[in-house]
Amino acid sequence: MSTTPVKLWRRQKHTTTLIGKKGKILLWTMIRVPAKAFAPQAPYPVVIVELSSGVRMMGQLVDWQEKDLVVGRIVTAVIRRSRVEDTEEVLSYQIKFKPL
Amino acid sequence: MKIHILGGATTKFGELWGVSPRDLAREAMSQALLHSSMKPKDIDAIFVGNMLSGILGNQANLGSLIAEELGVFVPAIRVEAACASGGLALHTAINGIRSGQYKNVLVVGIEKMTDHSSDDVTTGLMAAGSDDERSAGATFPGLYALIARAYMQEYGVTEEDLAGVSVKNHYHGSLNVKAQFQSPITVADVMKSSRIADPLKLLDCSPISDGAAAVVITGENPKKWHKKPIAISASEVASDTLSLHKRSSFTSLSAVVKAAKQAYAVAGIASKDVDVAEIHDCFSIAEAIGTEDLGFSKKGMGAKDIAAGKFTLGIGKLVTNPSGGLKACGHPVGATGIKQIVELSEQLRGTAGKRQVEKARIGLAHNVGGSGTLAVIHILSTL
Repeated sequence: MSTTPVKLWRRQKHTTTLIGKKGKILLWTMIRVPAKAFAPQAPYPVVIVELSSGVRMMGQLVDWQEKDLVVGRIVTAVIRRSRVEDTEEVLSYQIKFKPL
Repeated sequence: MKIHILGGATTKFGELWGVSPRDLAREAMSQALLHSSMKPKDIDAIFVGNMLSGILGNQANLGSLIAEELGVFVPAIRVEAACASGGLALHTAINGIRSGQYKNVLVVGIEKMTDHSSDDVTTGLMAAGSDDERSAGATFPGLYALIARAYMQEYGVTEEDLAGVSVKNHYHGSLNVKAQFQSPITVADVMKSSRIADPLKLLDCSPISDGAAAVVITGENPKKWHKKPIAISASEVASDTLSLHKRSSFTSLSAVVKAAKQAYAVAGIASKDVDVAEIHDCFSIAEAIGTEDLGFSKKGMGAKDIAAGKFTLGIGKLVTNPSGGLKACGHPVGATGIKQIVELSEQLRGTAGKRQVEKARIGLAHNVGGSGTLAVIHILSTL
């Protein structure tokens, strides 16, 4: 997986419309054996969130405590540094979710 | 047109550091041809099921590689559908015969995974997911963990219930000399194994494996080649959203339900008529849900029925995953769908030895790609 500038540019047009949107956790898991680019972050929770518009999204949960790992927990979409990039790659940011 | 399975063969599955992908393919193909009393020149086309050779092995022209190994330069077509690559290769091969273009076709499933670090394999397998899932840092165990969470919540199923799937499949694997793991395990072993993606633990997950499997199928009179050919009564495929979070249900895979319904109709049978099934247990939860989606258990009862021994060899009328399934036999991704067919053919011929299911006449193979993004169902029967 690479984050080329053009991929990031395409994605950010959509990403920026989601910042601050609220939703609730439908399902969660704790990833303990991650893909390479996420290794420094492990273990980390991944959640499926239903936004108030009804749209469902998958994302990482950030700034969490044990008590936040429950179905129905209200979260908000924030923009965060994505993953580990190769030395020459553009830094990537994306939507993650934060307990509200 | 009736299409039949002639000979088939599976290599040993496991961490096979001493053999190359070419060695694996050659062994499976030559054994399959031998059991079909055929020479390479009798083959009209080759279909290859594989997922990762382009990503991990830098080999993205696999059809020709396999043709070169076989030494016949017929049409050679590589098919990919993540973990359902093998099943979809067979389906495509069947359609090649139905079209009238080919008579005798060799179908090979192959994967070489243990040459690579588990980091690289985990990342490579996520090529079967969506961009949204990859950016979220999800892994395949993670996607199935989300499904497991939904299933446990909805039906009051416990981690111990799910562990029963791995216990059954390891027992069956202990009877299979080709299996990667031939040692029985207990529910306690599963419960104390390390956590991969909660609630799934190491022993809920199928392993990283090397292996190949091959079958020969024909549209001609099969008795010309084989004393006990097996009929392909149905070959059906359905797909679903690539992203898990875009599904309306997390506790049933609609691609499986759709393909199975169609396959039962084409074969003219009902789920209760199946004697032996190979179910795609990439994770314990996958077999629990698969058992329900195929109509073998009521909704919410799959894991509990399996844990109660309802589908265990020597106990159940219907036996599931006599090969040991993906969990114990191993899961060389592209080979799995063909291994299922080889196992069912042996069961229906009565040559499965210690793991023979009594009076098996109808077999079903359930091969699933990604998180349920594509499902292939084959129904086989004795003549």
